[in-house]
Amino acid sequence: MTEPDTAPVTVAGPVPAAPERRIGPLTRTDFVRYAGAGGDFNPIHHDETFARSAGYPAVFGHGLLTAGILGGYVASWLGRRNLRRFNVRYVGQVWPGDTLVLSGEVLRTGTGPDGSVEVEVGLAVHSEADGREPRLVLRGGATAAYPAPGSEI
Amino acid sequence: MTDRSHLVGHTYTPYTFPVEHGKVREFAQAVKDEDPVYRDVVAARDAGYRHLPAPPTFSAVTSHWAVRDADVLRLDLRRVLAGGAEWEYMSEIVAGDVLTVRSHIAEVRKKTGSRGPMTLIITEYDFVNQHEETVMRLRSTVIEMGEQ
Repeated sequence: MTEPDTAPVTVAGPVPAAPERRIGPLTRTDFVRYAGAGGDFNPIHHDETFARSAGYPAVFGHGLLTAGILGGYVASWLGRRNLRRFNVRYVGQVWPGDTLVLSGEVLRTGTGPDGSVEVEVGLAVHSEADGREPRLVLRGGATAAYPAPGSEI
Repeated sequence: MTDRSHLVGHTYTPYTFPVEHGKVREFAQAVKDEDPVYRDVVAARDAGYRHLPAPPTFSAVTSHWAVRDADVLRLDLRRVLAGGAEWEYMSEIVAGDVLTVRSHIAEVRKKTGSRGPMTLIITEYDFVNQHEETVMRLRSTVIEMGEQ
């Protein structure tokens, strides 16, 4: 493959620094709303008796609720239309009353197979609550693609 | 622990669902996404979409449409945790599109973690639109913890 005659991609790339966003505190009603919107009615997310019988202190949020909130964050940061990949790994529960703290950082900027500028980011969601240390609840990543500098859009 | 390795390759019955305007709006609201492109067609068109675009994790709504075949996994919901998910976006999905979902069990893996033995079940989903274009892929991991 011959290198196109364009300026090299700078490390800064097309992406601004990630904003930090806080969402919450989340309530049981938020969990129920998500159950209805998504269609996941596993009682562990809304039925306190069931959650306790499974050994949990309370109901907890759907992993996909946290992922969905993070998806909105990454789409507004990188641009919804530029998003090519998004991944999440759940590492802790989100309890009623928790506030989510969303953050991200650019890990790599490179050139995609079609000459576009590809930006890979790391993402994290921490959960904060009164009287408790912030806990990591989700680790994720995303890739976004942007037209090469100087190319027609 | 139940051995499920024979389920690798199991294909679920495909199904088709419409991407609905109201569902896009409801889903965006449920994930607290305030971008107007998910509720206002004019804002969506101004942003270059044909109609309201699907939020990044909109694949979750398929729970409303999935065909409930025989329950091959027989998971104990008390011991089930979501492990993670990976989405790949190949093309635009907007309200008015009609998507067909083809899915299969891609991997069953046993693992011992900090909380003891567990089974990881990875399912892959292809979303194909009304023009036979694969617009999104999802790989989703469900974990069943070992019995106490």
